[in-house]
Amino acid sequence: MYLTAAELSHRVREMGAEIAHDYAGREPVLVCSLKASVVFTADLSRAIPILHAIDFVELAGYGSARMGGHQQIRVLKDLDLDVRGRDIVIVEDVIDTGLTLNYLVRTLELRGPASVAAATLLDRPYRRLVDDLPVRYVGFTVPDELYVGYGFDIDERYRELPDLRLLNL
Amino acid sequence: MELQLPVFQAYRGSEPPRFASPAELECAKVLDYYGIAWEYEPRTFVLEQDEAGRVLEAFTPDFYLSEQDLYVEITAMKQSLVTRKNRKVRKLRERYPGVRIKLFYRRDLERLAQHFHLDLAS
Repeated sequence: MYLTAAELSHRVREMGAEIAHDYAGREPVLVCSLKASVVFTADLSRAIPILHAIDFVELAGYGSARMGGHQQIRVLKDLDLDVRGRDIVIVEDVIDTGLTLNYLVRTLELRGPASVAAATLLDRPYRRLVDDLPVRYVGFTVPDELYVGYGFDIDERYRELPDLRLLNL
Repeated sequence: MELQLPVFQAYRGSEPPRFASPAELECAKVLDYYGIAWEYEPRTFVLEQDEAGRVLEAFTPDFYLSEQDLYVEITAMKQSLVTRKNRKVRKLRERYPGVRIKLFYRRDLERLAQHFHLDLAS
């Protein structure tokens, strides 16, 4: 066990309060990057006691089955909302190299939002290749381990576990 | 063995890169996939010279990410064998304090391989 459901819940509520404070009166859009951050997004949304929208985006990660022979990253599922003039908070499960988030930020910035920030449950800043990212909310800075539960999977299993566990391969 | 190169979109060098290992090629493909502008071994840093100015020791990091102003050196060696490379990176930082460099160890590559489903077999 790395983080219990109670520990996760406590920190997510803190993050939600922080976001609510920062975006008071602005009705931000939470952009959930599928799939691992779904559980975190659902809890974070319920911890933000101000009006906000939720939308989803999915990118074809490198090496994934849905990369489909393409040599450039692409959007598999785009936003449904028009985010022009809106405040966007990208919700990530983990930020590691920052390559995916960097692409997502650049893509969303082309749509003329009022602002773009990111909230991540887990952070591994020591492996960052792209530093210039708007990472404003970090749940936990974690060691270099593999995790399952709370949305994190191994071969699509264990996402449903309520706590975050270390995976020993 | 000559490595089969794809057509790179984010490569900013003038000559085709000549990768030393499959791990380097895979890292280049990942950078390219995410649209990160990269160069391969664009600069050699002199680390030590004798009194006559002859180069005694130099270091050429594998990648330069121009938009990040970051050099990246990757090593697939076991942790116990990276002492020499660590020393070079430390010397580079001492001699060129304005240069940003990140060393990716075998463990980092393995994590990336798991995440990106890379083939790092050498």
